[in-house]
Amino acid sequence: MREDIRVGVFVCDCGSNIAGVVDVPQVVAYAKGLPNVAFVDEGRWSCSVDALSDMQESIKEHHLNRVVIASCTPRTHEPLFKRNVKEAGLNPYLLEFVSIREQVSWVHMNEPEMATDKAKDLVRMGVAKAVLLEEGEEIRLPVKQECLVIGGGVAGMTAALNVAQQGFDAIILEKEPHLGGILNKVTTVSHDQNEMAAADIVKAKVDLVETHPNITIYRNAAIEEIEGYIGNYKVTLKPNGDGPGEPLDISTIIVATGMKEIEPEGFYGYGTDPRVVTQLQLEELLRNAECRMPSGEFRMPNSECRIQDVVIINCVNSKNETRGCCNIGCPVSVKNALALKNLKNDIRVHILYRDLSMVKEEHFHLDAAKEAGVKFIRFPDDRYPEVTDESGRLCVRVHDILLGREFTIPSDLLVLTTAFKGDDTVDEIKGLLKVSASADGFFQEAHAKLGPVDFPADGISLCGCAKSPKNYRESCEEGIAAAMRVSIPMKNGYIEAEGIVADIDLTDCNNCGLCYKRCPYNAIKVVEEAEPAVIKALCKGCGLCAADCPKECITIVHYSDEQLLAQVEAALEEEADKKILGFVCHWCALGGVDMAGVSRLQYPPHARLIRVMCSARVPIRLIERGFELGAAGVLVAGCEFPTCHYITGNYACETRVKRAKKRLAKRGYDPEKLWNIWCSAADGPKFANTMREMATQLDLV
Amino acid sequence: MSESIMIIGAGVAGINCALNAADYGTKVYLVDDTPSIGGMMARLDKTFPTNDCSICIEAPQMYEVDNHPNIEILTNTEIRKVKKTDASFKVRLVKKAKFIDEEKCTACGACMEACPVAIPDEMDGKIGGKRKLIYMPFPQAVPNVAVVDPECRHGKMREDGACVGGCVVDCSQCRECPIALCVKACQKEGKDAVRLWQSNKNLNLEVKSIVVASGIMDAKPAEGLHGYGVHQNVITNMEFERLMNAGGPTEGHIIRPSDGKHVKKIAWYQCAGRGLADGVPYCSKVCCMVAAKQTIITKEHDPSVETLIYYNDLKAYGKGFWGFYEKAKENGVRYIKARPYDVFEDPETRNLTIRYEDVETGNLMKEEVELLVLSTGLIPSDRNKRLAKVLKIELDNLGFFKEEDPMMAPLETKAKGIYLCGGATGPIDIAESVVQAGAASMKAVLRIGD
Repeated sequence: MREDIRVGVFVCDCGSNIAGVVDVPQVVAYAKGLPNVAFVDEGRWSCSVDALSDMQESIKEHHLNRVVIASCTPRTHEPLFKRNVKEAGLNPYLLEFVSIREQVSWVHMNEPEMATDKAKDLVRMGVAKAVLLEEGEEIRLPVKQECLVIGGGVAGMTAALNVAQQGFDAIILEKEPHLGGILNKVTTVSHDQNEMAAADIVKAKVDLVETHPNITIYRNAAIEEIEGYIGNYKVTLKPNGDGPGEPLDISTIIVATGMKEIEPEGFYGYGTDPRVVTQLQLEELLRNAECRMPSGEFRMPNSECRIQDVVIINCVNSKNETRGCCNIGCPVSVKNALALKNLKNDIRVHILYRDLSMVKEEHFHLDAAKEAGVKFIRFPDDRYPEVTDESGRLCVRVHDILLGREFTIPSDLLVLTTAFKGDDTVDEIKGLLKVSASADGFFQEAHAKLGPVDFPADGISLCGCAKSPKNYRESCEEGIAAAMRVSIPMKNGYIEAEGIVADIDLTDCNNCGLCYKRCPYNAIKVVEEAEPAVIKALCKGCGLCAADCPKECITIVHYSDEQLLAQVEAALEEEADKKILGFVCHWCALGGVDMAGVSRLQYPPHARLIRVMCSARVPIRLIERGFELGAAGVLVAGCEFPTCHYITGNYACETRVKRAKKRLAKRGYDPEKLWNIWCSAADGPKFANTMREMATQLDLV
Repeated sequence: MSESIMIIGAGVAGINCALNAADYGTKVYLVDDTPSIGGMMARLDKTFPTNDCSICIEAPQMYEVDNHPNIEILTNTEIRKVKKTDASFKVRLVKKAKFIDEEKCTACGACMEACPVAIPDEMDGKIGGKRKLIYMPFPQAVPNVAVVDPECRHGKMREDGACVGGCVVDCSQCRECPIALCVKACQKEGKDAVRLWQSNKNLNLEVKSIVVASGIMDAKPAEGLHGYGVHQNVITNMEFERLMNAGGPTEGHIIRPSDGKHVKKIAWYQCAGRGLADGVPYCSKVCCMVAAKQTIITKEHDPSVETLIYYNDLKAYGKGFWGFYEKAKENGVRYIKARPYDVFEDPETRNLTIRYEDVETGNLMKEEVELLVLSTGLIPSDRNKRLAKVLKIELDNLGFFKEEDPMMAPLETKAKGIYLCGGATGPIDIAESVVQAGAASMKAVLRIGD
């Protein structure tokens, strides 16, 4: 017992929500007898304003330096109590939260005695951890105001303009001699019922970025090296382009490297027959004055033959085993068909398609095209049109599924709507930034839904076609959004991270580099002497590294091995063989536990749950310790796939649990007693069922 | 000049807009006219194309909003009047009574247990979801407090037994109810948080910019469309979403309305009502992927369930969408290019016989299923007209908010300082909403365009 530690335990009745099932006075009396506990109080509603101020008084009066609150769930109420202990002058990391409503009274309503015993156990576990808690603090990393934008297309220019508008510096790196990206090849772009010449858009944007005092543009430029992290990047450019020889000091980075058409080599004679072109090549023809005959007819450059029949085939080299929908081909084909019709109305245009992806107001373009005489033919997914050369003319044979018959259409120009891929520089850049990209060279965002313009690492954003093919409008929106994401730390002058972070004790470290490789956030770097160091502001505290470190030299603040072990030992102190030791991740699994509580799903009261931030935090040694102490079973519960608050923590946990089972078997424990579930925050029934099944299979009932 | 901004609508777009702006250092008033933040996303089970659990990823953001020092949440609150001055907006709002002391309520649920009247939940009415007249909008609601249905307060539900105390006084005349069971239950818990005599509250705020993130609605099919409203086992895709949600009224059991039986054969009709007089006139972008998701999850619940999707044009145009469609097919979903004709119900089994034209063969076909799901699409929120009038901005011909210069100034309206994001701009998915929320937050904190 450490004399200097004075724990205060506050047990909440939650009206009759807890007190109606759990014998709270008994829990209070029990808590008084626990080592280091200096004060225990029962509160009718611990979260009420008066109870909170009483708590502050008690902390001061009894010189408490650790606080355990036994009440509802940390997922909703921890911030409130953290604030309260902070106001009482205590470091908020010295608070431990015990859930005796969602985990006890609401789910064991018919077994008040066992519920009371479980509440006591949970309080004992909380106190055991609280004794070992250490002060923590939010970590700040300074961020200055220079943003590097890689790519000078419309997304990059829009992003740079929005960054610069706030008085921050934006540096645009463009690998080509001109800004504008893919729009330089396009005739017009449209959105809803508006249409504009691409050249006008490029000119307007280029004028704005060129004249902006806070924007620097390096053309013909490429990156040699990127070192560092948010607030502290050193970016060296390749010597043969624009830009300074010495490294640039950069705070944040926006990736806007754009996309390019995949040349449909081998499809319909593309590459050998000049009459077969892609949509972008058609756009270039439409922009080219040489393609107009003096009579107004359309022709290939340097040709005297007018183009009378144009056939457009959609979904070439896409929507197949290799890649999906090209995302933009349908509206583009309709737009270009209409452009041909506008150029010369007697050009016959056929669009051969599989599905028409025309959403919202794009239908108006479709209607306009139909009205202008563009013919649409739908062909089956598994029967693409065939093209032959019949006496010098291309002939397209297609099966129309709507009419159920075959057509042969002559064609002077065959246009292939093909797929896109990321820029050629993506491979290099993804290595420099330590981010990932798909097989087609599109960068992978942090989260498909809620992190659409972020990378997992702070300080780098993603926008435009570098992420996936998209239209002009969406690229603009993403450019602005990406600018916002990197501007937040630049405006604040720092990024702040919660103090739950990894800490490496180098005493036993043998520089194996596993932590560096495993960290999903690039928060561990190997410094010059080849020793790993945690960049605390980037660390999210998942604990994957700590659980994997073979030398056990990494600890997670607030979730140290020592603290978790104390909880395990406290949980199994009495009648271990009647108990299920559970590790649940804070985000989803605990959400499922809470949901079971809110829904009042009744399940057997054997579980003693220990909260971890991520299921990846749970090391095998802790699971083994549970069995050594005689636990009836051990449960590790993480987020349902593919959701993980820490990108891939649950995957890491899954592999580790498999290893743990092997090890348990070797050591003579029954590996079937180690359970592993993936539970969403909505899935209370799943958690409750698991508890029932475990109780049955482990012979606890 | 005010330095704060106001966001109207607290769905996933409003929430992300608020978090960005607040992290930037701007004071945010996040206003929603429903009792909880969360919007449409809080009703969903999973999100395509990753099948992330919807509430699992949204709830942490909701708690973050709740605890953010720069964000003030105003739920159950309507915008009544907006006066534009040179550099700011003076906004009058009305916080409609929840009849609850939000400071005191701890969401313990005693009042809900005590309330004798259960009515169909607006979230999942058709599939049997019930709620009490005093209720939590949903378990993860923020703010996490109960709310009293105003219908109850005014005695309109008396026939259904809202008032069980034998009181002869009309509730609407009475200021303090001594017998309401919810009040008593709450008092017994020692909270006394139910305030049946609470009145609406006027608020006046001044903000430099406003973001309209008022969302979108799922279209209800016209009465009789493919048997909807006539046959019990015809439901919409949003109703199906609630059905397969573990947090929904059936705890995720996919059972049908007529007899509560586990369903073994389900068909989806895509583009239901599209192009008809009272149907949705345009493609809503999301329904194809929603159907793919729903079939995949259905198969996850029970691989033996047979699933069919009758569709017209397949929209799989976003990142990872095609792979998702392929996954649905691998799982055994049958995709049929079809034109639906009519739906008959077997009066004995309540099964449905669907007649359709197979577009690829031209043949008229028949198929008997146990449940029919209509993918009806997304329509402008019914708030739009009123909001547009109050904010003095325009709607487009479809009923979504109109941008002044969509090509060069996206998300900006004709009123300088008023911006748009999310479903307010048109049919949209979650990721696109979050992108627009980021962009709108940038414009709002800088008051771009001024």
